Amino acid sequence: MIERNERKAYWRHTKVQMLTSLLPFLLAMVILPIYADAFNDKRILGMPLGYFLACHGLMVIAFITVAVFINRQDAIDHWHGAHEDF
Amino acid sequence: MAFTSSTRLVNPRLGTYFGIFTAALVALVLMALMFEQLGVADGLLRALMFAAPLSLYAAIGFNARAREPHDYFASGRRVPAFFNGLVLGVAALGGAGFLGLTGALFIAGFDALCLSIGWCAGLVFMAVLFAPYVRKFGTYTVPAFLGRRFDSRAVRVVAAAVLCPPILLVLIAETRFAAYACAWLLGQPEHLMSAVLIALVAAVLAAGGMRSLTWSSVAKAITALLALAVPATIFALMASNLPLPQMTHGNTLRVLTRMEMMRNVPILIAPPLALDLAGAGMEALAKRFVQSFGNVGPIGFVLASLVMAAGIAASPVLLPRSGTTPGVYEARKSLGWAVLVTGVVLLTLPAVAVYLRFLLFEQVVGQPPEQLPAWMQILQQAGIAQIEPGPQPVSLGRFGFERDAVLFALPIAAGYPQVLVYLSLLGALAAALTALSASLFALAAIVAEDVVRASPVEVASDRARLGRARLALAATAFVGIWLAIAAPADPLQLFLWAATLSASTCFPVLVLSIWWRRTKAFGAMAGMLSGLLVAGAAILLSEAGAIALPSALAGTLGLPCAMLVTIVGSLMAPAARHNVLEQLREMRMPGGETVYDREMRLLRLKNRSPS
Repeated sequence: MIERNERKAYWRHTKVQMLTSLLPFLLAMVILPIYADAFNDKRILGMPLGYFLACHGLMVIAFITVAVFINRQDAIDHWHGAHEDF
Repeated sequence: MAFTSSTRLVNPRLGTYFGIFTAALVALVLMALMFEQLGVADGLLRALMFAAPLSLYAAIGFNARAREPHDYFASGRRVPAFFNGLVLGVAALGGAGFLGLTGALFIAGFDALCLSIGWCAGLVFMAVLFAPYVRKFGTYTVPAFLGRRFDSRAVRVVAAAVLCPPILLVLIAETRFAAYACAWLLGQPEHLMSAVLIALVAAVLAAGGMRSLTWSSVAKAITALLALAVPATIFALMASNLPLPQMTHGNTLRVLTRMEMMRNVPILIAPPLALDLAGAGMEALAKRFVQSFGNVGPIGFVLASLVMAAGIAASPVLLPRSGTTPGVYEARKSLGWAVLVTGVVLLTLPAVAVYLRFLLFEQVVGQPPEQLPAWMQILQQAGIAQIEPGPQPVSLGRFGFERDAVLFALPIAAGYPQVLVYLSLLGALAAALTALSASLFALAAIVAEDVVRASPVEVASDRARLGRARLALAATAFVGIWLAIAAPADPLQLFLWAATLSASTCFPVLVLSIWWRRTKAFGAMAGMLSGLLVAGAAILLSEAGAIALPSALAGTLGLPCAMLVTIVGSLMAPAARHNVLEQLREMRMPGGETVYDREMRLLRLKNRSPS
């Protein structure tokens, strides 16, 4: 169980993790489709690059974002002793 | 109790069970393929492809009985992360994703990606912002979560009232998608199919609530994924020798782009705020596939993906699912699986759209009317495609295609055996049924637990509580059948309205109630109500043509407004009581017993001890 004086530090750490997970993803989510047309003259795997980034690229970024978040947040939980104690 | 290992609760044979189910499904499809070659009647094949999987789902659902509220509402909190994520991903997509989005991608091309980006991002937001905390709190519905977070019965009732419209819209939309697929599969009228499907789903849910929902939905999700993968993979093999449609549709896309240039398909430029995704009914292919911002303007695209993401993240249909995992860590992990499943589906759907568009440009567009391929005649006779009669070669301007039929038009156009067409329909039906049963259950749970409040439900005996939940389920099912038959609107539009409404009512209040300590009950209530009012008014005004904002983007007004009202209302209200803050601090820590479960345990102990 978490110590009382660890709570503030834990929550600050969690908030920073939330922002570092979501802000880059939000940025990619807005920027990649907007500039898709500019990249479309290059090709990757036969697909126009802009379309590839907005479709495949974003899905991959989303998955990496969640995977990293799960990993980091679990580490934060353990660091502050806030993890589940089964 | 609290010291039981979370993994010990999980049934270790789940993988075997669903392996057997998958094998049975594959065997069924292979058997049907053989029957077709042997010349068995078409009606029998259709009935087999419909009845056999559905009876399997029903059998799984009926077998997962629930005798206590913990099982009925939270599936006993022993669903492993993978299975939970599988159901979550497919339930988030539902028929709107499988049928509607494929069609929108086929007709609007790149522009429809705003929806798929929103879908995927919504699950990311849910993983980071909500799921772990909703799981730690452990309440069975979203209104109950908000009510307990602020320790206020008023918030609970207001939240229940405000969240009913978006859930009802999802319910109607998914029923319409399911009935559409089912009507094609069986050749029966859609109204009848709506009634039959909701009645069937309600009967299965009444047996075991969330338990039945979870385990039958796992089977449905497996069917949906398999049925989506098979036709697309066969086409990918034929076109590129690699069975990966997600990665190899690029070459087909390149040829398609060249053909579009040769046929002079116009390059459209949409106004910045436009959001013109394909409607139901015959739609023309107006723009090139890869060209961006032809039907949807750049601002409309970004706003649509943000509103969709907020709507999916805070969806009151999907959030209760995180309560079924054994722990907070598993709740996060299940969202990871959900993003993976959704991502793979969302990469396969554009491949299906590209393949069908390629076949169309290769064999139909530019051909003289008497030299059309046989599959085009079939599609025209079935009412899926339409070509205005004329002497000249078929041009795009005279050509229309039904949006929701694209997914199962590919196996027809590619000349696959009829059974694969039925398999596609079955997959779409399974996906729509997953979302339909999730929304029906969420609505019934809210009606039973949060709206009907003669006495606090938590005090009632287990039997009374389950009886009330089943009664609410029956009532909700009747309302659902009636509305699904009575509501004439386009189902994808209904789904988008649901997302926009839950983005403007649920999302801001949930974010603030978890991440901002000073949120108060008054602010939350005012925020939800103002979000609903503003978004609802914007939808009505937009549909009436009074404002230029597309109705699906009403959330762009509702969300900031609700956020602002919640913050101002919370700052004006008096300081929160100590126990509310203490509960919030506990919710933010993954460790320790689930808040709601501990309360229930203490309540049971109190009732048992003679005092």
